[in-house]
Amino acid sequence: MAKIVLDLFRYDEAVDEEPRRERVDIDFNVNATVLDALEHAKAEVDGSISFRRSCRSAICGSCSMNINGVTGLACKTPIRDVLRADRSVKIDPMTNFEPMKDMVVHMDPYWDKYSRLKPYLQPPDRDEEHERERRVSPEDMKKLVAVANCVMCATCYSLCPVVSVDPAFSGPAAIAYAYRFIEDTRDGQQKERVAQISDDYLWLCAHCYACSYCPKHVDPHDRIIDTKRRSIQVGLTDAPGPRHALVVAKTIKQTGMLAENEVIAGTIGRFNFKGLLKVMPLGLRMASKGKVPPLFMHPVQKVDEIRTIFETMEVPIAS
Amino acid sequence: MTVATEFPLSAKRRSKSAEMKRYGFFPGCVAKESCTELFNSTMLLADKLGIELVELTAASCCGASVLNDVNRDVARVLNARTYAQAEALGLDDVITICSTCTGHMRAANKELLEDELRMEQSNAILGKFGASYKGTVSVRHLLWMLIDDIGLDELSKMVVNPLQGLKVAPFYGCHIIRPESVNGWESARNPHSLEDLITALGGEPVDYAGKTRCCGFHVQLEKDGIAANMVGQNMRMAKDKGAEAVLTPCPLCHLALDGYQADSAARWGRTDLPTFHLPQLVAIALGIDPTKLGLKRHVISPGHVLSAHELAPMHVA
Repeated sequence: MAKIVLDLFRYDEAVDEEPRRERVDIDFNVNATVLDALEHAKAEVDGSISFRRSCRSAICGSCSMNINGVTGLACKTPIRDVLRADRSVKIDPMTNFEPMKDMVVHMDPYWDKYSRLKPYLQPPDRDEEHERERRVSPEDMKKLVAVANCVMCATCYSLCPVVSVDPAFSGPAAIAYAYRFIEDTRDGQQKERVAQISDDYLWLCAHCYACSYCPKHVDPHDRIIDTKRRSIQVGLTDAPGPRHALVVAKTIKQTGMLAENEVIAGTIGRFNFKGLLKVMPLGLRMASKGKVPPLFMHPVQKVDEIRTIFETMEVPIAS
Repeated sequence: MTVATEFPLSAKRRSKSAEMKRYGFFPGCVAKESCTELFNSTMLLADKLGIELVELTAASCCGASVLNDVNRDVARVLNARTYAQAEALGLDDVITICSTCTGHMRAANKELLEDELRMEQSNAILGKFGASYKGTVSVRHLLWMLIDDIGLDELSKMVVNPLQGLKVAPFYGCHIIRPESVNGWESARNPHSLEDLITALGGEPVDYAGKTRCCGFHVQLEKDGIAANMVGQNMRMAKDKGAEAVLTPCPLCHLALDGYQADSAARWGRTDLPTFHLPQLVAIALGIDPTKLGLKRHVISPGHVLSAHELAPMHVA
């Protein structure tokens, strides 16, 4: 047993104008979890401390909260791993959500974005009688297993920096779930699903890997990359995201290097004057300091080897 | 026991003075294109430290996290080709100066070393031009090399121009810490290497939540405003904690932080924090001529901050 302090975010939207902080002292085993400590504080110190929880074993996904600045499941976080030098643990509601009461947040935007994906199987030949079993080979199922482990705890959504500045972005979990149906051999809406998320937000992922903190190892970032590739495969290439990927591939094939100038022009579109005008101010700011990438890239030594790799692997590039 | 711990240390010291340590050097695309000041200051710092960085001049781009979007395997094979070159030159200790290069080259290496089939497939393609990767290369960022091979104590002894309590906000960039399974050199949730380095140079590290967040570089062309807002959000946090400048080990973060603060001011207020490339700030503290560090190439001039702390005259930036 050790003396620890829970440094808690306290707020009740029904009565409080502003949130406040409250320090709760408890005697507790640091090998227990943050959720155990909260349960103890609620039972022994202040019954009004509010947080969501149910299974206490990382299965239900309810107790995601911000612990010392990083969102995670309280039931899967040992106190000893997060105890700060002053023997406190700072606990806040999940970032990227509106707080409702203490660590309880309004989950609606998260569920709305998820529901928009039609997260259920839509087989091509609807079997109204339910007489026939729809089978998936173990090989095909392998791709879906990781995503099937998602408990929708919203940890990734809370950590996503794009969500924090652009509420239009779906967040990682929704794309991972879209992938789960896109790659399901029983589903008949692959093309429609890919088109919907490609138009909406697929390419707004910032590649930051914040969602690699997923407590269930769904690895949403990898599923986002898989879905982008599928999107290019089905021919959805007329948008900045896919144009960017394809022109990067093209310049690496041609020169061995990612040629910055060509990538910028090729992503925005060489004749998209409105788009090019938008990046002008930044371009001019940089140019005024002499920061201009070379207009012509010299290929690296033995660039033929690089081209051989691209051709052998049939890598798609911008035309 | 005492002898056992001391002997290797003194042996290491002897070997350092006996011969110049050589590393394979992978500068990455941006340090060779828009951020040449990073490349130049890295070479000057290496000189000062008495180490030799041998550039892998036939290397390709690491894939920059974007190539995966068109093909899941091509970046791995391109990096295997780079590693094969490093091995052929006897330079299997490869140093990078970009967070994205670090993360993606390490990810490729991990896949090659952990999966025999992938190694075979890659070597089958490299075989078309007579190359082969044996699996002996390790990829490390300059930051890790400074701390592991030179040592913070040694570095602080070399400081002739201490940073005089300059309040520096560390900005890690994503791919040098995440995913942890690929990098793992320090905790992704609570890294402190940059803070330790800033302290060793005589500066004062600023703790703020934005230090491990994303600069938005990789999504800057996909939709207007996302990157600028991510920069603004992070720089606001740093500024509110009293930061006077930012230090980053990544040129992509540098481009975003240095370039977008003007655009983010409308929503996040003016921050105007000058951003240093990792080797620039180390070089200043170690007494390297600041006029050679390309400080004039920054959109937000570090001149005021450097002269206020008597680290360099105003005109160098």
